[in-house]
Order: sequence, then C-alpha cells, then structure tokens
Amino acid sequence: MNDAIKMQLSAFVDDELSDNETDLLVRRLGQDRELRQQVAEYLAIGRVMRGQPQVAGSERLRERIIAELGDGPAEEPQAPAPANPRLRLWRPLGGFAVAATVALVAIVGLRQMTGPDDIVPAEAGITATAEDTGYTVPNGPDDLLRQYYLSHGETSSELGANGINARLVSVQLREDVIVDREAEDDSDPAESESATQP
Amino acid sequence: MQLGEFRAATACITLAGVFGVSPALADDRDPHDWLDRMSNAVQTINYEGTVIRLENGVSEALKVVHTVRDGVIHEKVIVQEGNGLEIIRNGNEVHCILPDRKSVLVEEWNDQSTLFSTLPSSDIRFGNEYDVAIVRRDRVAGRKALILAIRPHDGYRYGHRIWLDLETGFPLKTQLIGEGSEAIEQVKFADIDLDSDIQLSALKPSYSIDSFQWYAEPRRAVRRGIQTDWVSDELPRGFAAVSIQEEQLPDTEQAVTHILYSDGLANVSVFIAAADGKKVAKRSRVGGSNSYSLVNGGYRVTAVGEVPAATVEQIARSMRRK
Repeated sequence: MNDAIKMQLSAFVDDELSDNETDLLVRRLGQDRELRQQVAEYLAIGRVMRGQPQVAGSERLRERIIAELGDGPAEEPQAPAPANPRLRLWRPLGGFAVAATVALVAIVGLRQMTGPDDIVPAEAGITATAEDTGYTVPNGPDDLLRQYYLSHGETSSELGANGINARLVSVQLREDVIVDREAEDDSDPAESESATQP
Repeated sequence: MQLGEFRAATACITLAGVFGVSPALADDRDPHDWLDRMSNAVQTINYEGTVIRLENGVSEALKVVHTVRDGVIHEKVIVQEGNGLEIIRNGNEVHCILPDRKSVLVEEWNDQSTLFSTLPSSDIRFGNEYDVAIVRRDRVAGRKALILAIRPHDGYRYGHRIWLDLETGFPLKTQLIGEGSEAIEQVKFADIDLDSDIQLSALKPSYSIDSFQWYAEPRRAVRRGIQTDWVSDELPRGFAAVSIQEEQLPDTEQAVTHILYSDGLANVSVFIAAADGKKVAKRSRVGGSNSYSLVNGGYRVTAVGEVPAATVEQIARSMRRK
C-alpha cells in the first residue's frame, strides 16, 4: 500500500475526504481486501485514541456502499434461528452476488465497530455449518461442542500454545455459560445459592 | 569473477528479491534464535499498550498491561468495546470481569504462557512440517521489527507471521495465516511501551466488584495417562498423540476419552464418547478453530483444533478401534 492511499484512508477516517475521492475509495475497497483490513484498523485506532463511540467516516462509507449497490438498502446477512438465542450464532455470508458480498462484508465490519449492539460478533459464538440433511445448531448450557472447545483450549494451554484469541474465545464461550446460569438462578432461588460462590 | 561465480551471485540476489529477503539480513541471527529471543521476551519484559485484534474482518481494541514480579505474572486486559470485559491475572488466578452482567468468572490458568504467546514454549520444537524464515524488516507501533514466517509444507495446518521487535525480540504483531496467504487472525500493537515501570495499582479492576456475582469455573475431572484402543489410521503427516486422558465434563455424567494430537505447533483434540442420540453440529468453527463430529460404531467422535476444517475432518474420519 503506498503512502498516497494511506493518506487517503486517514483523511477518510477523519471525514476530510471529498465526495469524488470517497467514491473512488469505496470502489477500491470493494476490490482490495488488504485495504478493507487497513480501514478497520484505522477506525479502531482512531476510536481508542479519541475515546469516541463513533468514527466520522464509517457511517458515510456505509451509506456510499449501500448507494453503490442500488436503490434500496442492502439486506443484512441472516443468521439461522438458533434454538437458544443466547448462544449468539452467526453464519458466514452466502447467496449474494460477489460484488454485493464484498460490500456487505465491509458494511458488517464497520457496523461491528460503530454499533456493537447492532450485530453479533463472529468470534462470540460457535458458527455451525450445514449437516448432511440440514442445519443443526448446538444449544443449551451443557452443549457438548462448547465443552469440547473449552477442554481442548485448556489441554492445549498446558503445552504453552494459547494466544490472546484463544483466551478471549474461551472467556466468551464461558460467558454464555454464565448467562445460562443466571437464567437458572432466576427460576430456582434455592439452586442459585449453590451455583454461585462468594 | 568466474562466470559460474557470477551466475551464482546473480541467482542469490534474484532469489533474495523474489522471497523478499534483504541481503542486509544475511548475517543476522538464525530464525530459531529469534524464536528463543521471543520466548524469553514475552516472559520477562514489562509492557503496556493498545492492541488491535482482527478476525473475520472484525476489529477489536484492547488495552493491555503486563508485568512480572518475582517470577509471578500480573496482567490486565480491557476490551475497549462491546461488554467492556476485563481480564486480570495474578499468577495462576484469573478474574474475568463482565461489568454489564455484574459478574466475575474465576478461572485457573496453570500454564506459564502469557496472553500474547502465540507459539509453543521454547522447549517444544516443530519438526519437518514447517519452514521458519526471516522475511524482511518492517515497522510496527513506531518500532523497528523483523518479520519471521513459519510456513507449513501442506494445507493441513496454518502458517504464522510474527513481527519481532529488533531491539528486544518482543512480538509486536502476529498473524495466523490460512490457505491463500490470507490472515485469519491478527493481533497487533498500535502503541506499546516496553519495560515500563508498572505500578500494581494499574492492575486492579476498573470497577468496584464487591457486589458482583462470582462464579467459579466448572471443574473437569481428568484421569491422565490412560490406555485406549482408539487410534487414527490416517493422521496428517507430522501429527502424533501427545496425551491421552479420560474426562468427566461439567454438567455431564458421561466419561469422554480425550486424545490430543500435535505436530509441535498445531494441536487437535479428539473426543470419543458413547453416542447418546443427541444432535451435534457436524462442522463448526470458532475463530481459527474448527471441529468435525461423526458417529462411528456407536461412539461419537469429535475432532477440535486450530487447524483448517479439512484437517479435523480427516482426523475424525480416520479414528478406528484396534
């Protein structure tokens, strides 16, 4: 990536890019995965540095991408209905035209940065894919797959092979267990006392 | 210079250009020495900074503080978005604070790896399935860095790229590389202060957590070193069983045989339990990890690991009883 593009990205994030230049940038983003990744980094860094909940350029970019795709707003990728909504399933994009898919990935990425409540983070849940005869989702606090992922993470860490991503995934998977337990606590006060520890 | 020597020199320069290796690095340390430096750096250097984590096109910023006192690791990680998760580690005890749920999850991490170790400790060495090479110099978080590439020889495992601080060997940026040389996951310091004087007060929770609900980690009952008649008859090259144990998973009554396979860098667990008729997703993915599950002779066999989907599928399908 050359310095001119970097400066253009930086100007865009600061909302200082002209409309024409923004149009060009949007087209280029649709074709350049590395550039999209760079935008994501700039937006995240900018937000941390400034303590801002929103970054100026992101909403503009989203609007531009939607405009590029046609008259109406682009459809969000739909996750399959999970048996337990707390499990927060997320499914990869599929069934869209290539250009739309590329642009939607950019929108989804930006929306995750600018509105954390709008969409479920991909890394927060298990993404299950189609089984031979249909779609099967893991569910429930004692879900076997989740237990297996956690057990694998713990056993692997004994070999010293556990990085920040594995740690955060592990914590997020356990967070779902907490949510489920809180639900149990609500329904059974007696059980609540035995389930929690001061 | 003889013609042969000239050609050899030209070929070397051309190859250096093709693979991006700077001639200036020719006299640098061996790549394995850099891995040793990295291993030492992450265990001894104090640091604080901002980390940007990228996965599936989604970014997340984290504030990180890390110090080692009398051989004990103290760490604090604050996720800057979403639920504001804080992870605080004092030695082996880890508190995961979930402010929006007013909950604290207490865990025990028995390993000595730190949050930013992405590779096995130095006493484990990967064998013939990977090449390690110095790629070129770069700059990360305002510091000079050296890019180290760990490249797998086949598609059964992921590669790694590590940007090591030239001065200290500290990993400033790491990437997990999938097929097609694309980064599946990336962790990168946007800014970092190495060997800073960190006060213990900086490692305390940002919230008053006295009134929070505390949860202990559910315990797995583990029986190590057991024998099993389950083996794989078609493991991807380089993988070997490194541990076999029987586990009683929390909230279940069923015993599970757990075989851990490793190629020295990538790990795959195979869980085998009597099939109970419950549905389990055939394939699933969490971050860079994949799983594959099937029923074989009345047993559910599930492979889970930080490897491509094809690898867990092959391993799960290859499991047989002796």
